[in-house]
Amino acid sequence: MEKMKLKLLYSDLKPELELIETELEQAVDSESLLLNEASLHLLQAGGKRIRPVFVLLAGKFGNYNVELLQKVAVPLELIHMASLVHDDVIDDSEIRRGRPTVKSEWNNSVAMYTGDFILARALERITEIDIPRVHDVLSKTLIEVCRGEIIQIEHKYRLDQSLRDYLRRIKRKTALLISSSCELGALVSGTDEKTAAHLRRFGYFIGMSFQIIDDILDFTASDEELGKPAGSDFIQGNITLPILYARRDPAIYRLLSENLEKDISDDKRLEIVRTIRSSSAVDEAKLMSSLYLEKALQELAYLPKGPATKTMRKIAFFIGKRKF
Amino acid sequence: MNGHQIQSKIISMEIDVLNAVRQRTLDQWTDGPFVKESRLFFLLLPYFNGEQWSAKMDTSANTVAIVYAALHAHDKVKEEMPISKEQQLTVLAGDLYSGIYYQMLAKLKNMEMVQKLAAAIIQVSEKKASFHEHRVQQPEEVEETVKVIETALLNSFYEVSEFGNYRELMECSLLYQRYTDELEALKTGQFSYVLSLLSETMVHSSLIEQWLMERLDALSEQILLAANDCQLDFEVKAILLDQIIPHQHSAEQLTREG
Repeated sequence: MEKMKLKLLYSDLKPELELIETELEQAVDSESLLLNEASLHLLQAGGKRIRPVFVLLAGKFGNYNVELLQKVAVPLELIHMASLVHDDVIDDSEIRRGRPTVKSEWNNSVAMYTGDFILARALERITEIDIPRVHDVLSKTLIEVCRGEIIQIEHKYRLDQSLRDYLRRIKRKTALLISSSCELGALVSGTDEKTAAHLRRFGYFIGMSFQIIDDILDFTASDEELGKPAGSDFIQGNITLPILYARRDPAIYRLLSENLEKDISDDKRLEIVRTIRSSSAVDEAKLMSSLYLEKALQELAYLPKGPATKTMRKIAFFIGKRKF
Repeated sequence: MNGHQIQSKIISMEIDVLNAVRQRTLDQWTDGPFVKESRLFFLLLPYFNGEQWSAKMDTSANTVAIVYAALHAHDKVKEEMPISKEQQLTVLAGDLYSGIYYQMLAKLKNMEMVQKLAAAIIQVSEKKASFHEHRVQQPEEVEETVKVIETALLNSFYEVSEFGNYRELMECSLLYQRYTDELEALKTGQFSYVLSLLSETMVHSSLIEQWLMERLDALSEQILLAANDCQLDFEVKAILLDQIIPHQHSAEQLTREG
């Protein structure tokens, strides 16, 4: 339902997104039936396609050329998909978007090959773009996203980490790829430097807000809405913003530290979820998300008014209010 | 170029690769990048043999080595549950190496190499996936699978750098080395995907052994011919036959005839 609402917001882009969907399907076509099946399994599980949307919207601020923009949008979505399939191996996740993960449907090896295959398809496609800056931005982003994930593992189960640690982590994990989507859309459309910079910053702030909301939803949404058990982040040792705020209460700190890195029962998981949900941490985290949202909107104010700015604003508001 | 110079250059390349992908947490928790020495030797073979070589080629060769390291890291991911921290970081090491090879080539504006390497990774992934397809492959198809896995990345470098004349020698040698390893695995009862595939059509292990021996014999001859075809320098040839393919089935014969 929420995904449908989001898609309604960018219904103006429907023909372009349909083209991108077809291109994505073609991109994962393989002479290996297994890789083809595993990649389609992932692709057909859906997704918000938020990265391609931002590429297209950013493209509206320059010479809008769908043929060119899709050459960036498709690789970006493929890179995101490749990281998801490997993340599921790292997190031992059985379910994603309500469907079995590639590693659970097949095994870890198949998930590794699928991720490598999809990433290689992304790089193969992006070489069609002959703008050096595009490759500078994208390769740097790829590396930073990986570094963010490495840091995430380093910080796992560390209840003592700082807010700064968390923000730097989500910047690399999520915000950079969204920021790059906006910047790359601007670059291939030939916008001026200033516009590209505002779009990049808009993407960054919206990415930060998006990830904070994601981390809040892990506690506030239901298992059904999430397509995975609520509180999964905590179980996997990922210390997110709601936890960082909640830990200031000594009783909650005790509850969290006693159950970290343990094979906890479902009842205990639900107790932790309920405790965080009823604490002030959720509202505080929402406030932080709103601050990033506000900054994103400020960046939009520098851009020329028009349908693209309007849609970006609507998406920004939606992200701030989404329920799962 | 003498043996010492060849070894020094290989070690220098190993160090370059290590420095390019170095990351504190990965250094602490993973085995670090690994590339078989034979692959490094063949990446540098045109240089050893006196071909025109540039700094750009050096970097391109390094990126191929980094991709080999990336895929090797992902091969090391096991099926254990729950996955350990070492394994989690091994997944990310492979991903990081992939980002680094792209960045290095992007800095050189060598998009042709990015494209060829990506195409090679696709081929290798497809062939590796075939190990899990539960589909019977005839021995010739198994050989094609092994050949792609061992050589596709190197071929992408040879193609872009116009060193196609070394292709036959490299393919035969790496296939030879792989079959030697498979023969060893067969004799010591170790599991291997290649042996598993071969056992689909050759029920008894003695048949697999015989097939591997026959292929090794045939490849020995092909290596000699190919080495002559690409006019390999005497010292380079000696290193290839004595050190790079150390378990040669007919090493003495090859050296004598060569």
